[in-house]
Amino acid sequence: MSAAFAVTSLHKRFRTRFGRTESVALDGVDLAVPRGEAFGLIGPNGAGKTTFIKCLLGIAHPDSGTVELLGGKPEDPRSRARVGYLPERLTLPGAWTPRALLASVARLKRLQPGRAGLDGLLQRLGLAEVGDRRIRGFSKGMRQRLGLAAALVGAPELLVLDEPTDGVDPLGRVEIRQLLAAELARGATLFINSHLLSETERICTRIGILSHGRLVRSGPLEALTSVQQRWRVRFAPGPPSEALVALGFEPVEGGAWELAAGDATALNQALDRARGAGALLVGLERASRDLEDVLTEALAAGAA
Amino acid sequence: MTPIAVALDLLREAAARRWFLALGLALTGLLLVLVTSLRLEVVDGALAASRLFGKPLDHSIQAADVALRPVFLAASQVVFWGGLGFGVLACADFAPALLSPGRIEHLLSLPVRRWELLAGTFLGVLALAMAGAVYASAGLVLVLGAKTGVWTGWPVLSAVLSALAFGSVYAGMLAVTVWVRSAALSAAAGASLIVLGLLATHRTALLDLMGRGPGRAFFAGVTAVVPPLGKLADAAGALAASAPLAPGGLVRLLAGTVAFAGALLAVAVWRFERRDF
Repeated sequence: MSAAFAVTSLHKRFRTRFGRTESVALDGVDLAVPRGEAFGLIGPNGAGKTTFIKCLLGIAHPDSGTVELLGGKPEDPRSRARVGYLPERLTLPGAWTPRALLASVARLKRLQPGRAGLDGLLQRLGLAEVGDRRIRGFSKGMRQRLGLAAALVGAPELLVLDEPTDGVDPLGRVEIRQLLAAELARGATLFINSHLLSETERICTRIGILSHGRLVRSGPLEALTSVQQRWRVRFAPGPPSEALVALGFEPVEGGAWELAAGDATALNQALDRARGAGALLVGLERASRDLEDVLTEALAAGAA
Repeated sequence: MTPIAVALDLLREAAARRWFLALGLALTGLLLVLVTSLRLEVVDGALAASRLFGKPLDHSIQAADVALRPVFLAASQVVFWGGLGFGVLACADFAPALLSPGRIEHLLSLPVRRWELLAGTFLGVLALAMAGAVYASAGLVLVLGAKTGVWTGWPVLSAVLSALAFGSVYAGMLAVTVWVRSAALSAAAGASLIVLGLLATHRTALLDLMGRGPGRAFFAGVTAVVPPLGKLADAAGALAASAPLAPGGLVRLLAGTVAFAGALLAVAVWRFERRDF
């Protein structure tokens, strides 16, 4: 599967106006995202996530490294024509209406979607009823939805979304997740930059962790969050705790137990011994951590 | 033609602004006042005694087009300097708004080249200035034509010249904005260029008053490149009044103005292409 984008050894430093001080925003990032994937870039504030996106789209110029966007260069308008982008803090012309904004985006993308096409987009984002109202009076959530609608103009192959659910109410977040799932099903590639780990976890199948301008972890979400050779076990109420501890089971929160087992044979032997001690097995799954744990661990490792 | 699309978007944005609505209403109101209050009597194709608002302009009997020259001259000066002043104030925040964080990133992510964005912004503002100046002058021509029977297109051409002069000022405003995104600084740059343009008009006389030294050399250098706006205003007035112009003078003035605007736009594009957002 070809990459939606690939960056190699990306470096970017920012200097103050008179060049007295400089800060490293990106320090040799290598990343390739296959087409059709939903990739989430996470990291603390100032990690370089937005700078990465800007370098990816040609909005900022990297000091060194290469960027390939949909098989072309980010400077090439033909590449950018196939991308939809939602900036982190989108500023929209207040005097315009949503319909006028989407029509302008379509024109600049050299598309002619027609009124029906734009109405359809507004409908998808729940903005159909305010399509002719001035943007000036919109709430943050409505602006965010409109920004997303603008990013979706022309059914782009790659959607780059910087904090897509920022300022959106919980119900709206669900709708946006459904919309992004539909885009993914259409074949679009999603690249999401978010500090909301739960959102990222629900949408993305691959994750990258950026810290101090370096990509400290990258891979499938499942691989990053699963803990190798550890299993989470649930027993019926009132298990023989002392016996279980003696057998190597460790109690964890929620009344569950965790067990280290190198392979299936060792796992089954431990379970047989637990059942022999009177414990009744009701659930078994591979032990996993949430994204917050992964991020915390990655940042700690990166700082070390 | 992406720059045209960007320019049309700017015009749409301007149409939604109260500033420009107010300008349109003010111009229309002024023309209506002229229609209803201007008293001009023409006898056999001549103004027996040209009277403007009841007061005689000249006691001698003369051809109507000649008698109207002072009116066209004055109107041209008002359109020129008023247009420059209003344009600087009203257009100062177009480019800063375009470059505002969150908006420029979105625009640059679209299949638009950076130079096309700047060129489109410049063209949009130029079209706006042109539309305002042409509307005012064409209205004046219609009013005076209906009252006196003197039909001339020269005031409209003069208004186009005024808009071109504003274009050179706006190129400077745009170049400043690409460095520092500030509507106030953009307006200050426009006002400074107007003052420099006035100084450049009287360059020779002012240089004669200065003693030799680096200050004089600096002044000579700056005023050598800035378009002499006073001369452009005079040329626009002469055009409007159908008065004779020095042969080749207007062409040289226009060529210098266009070259100045082109150079400033080139600098702006050079900086814009390299800037990170």
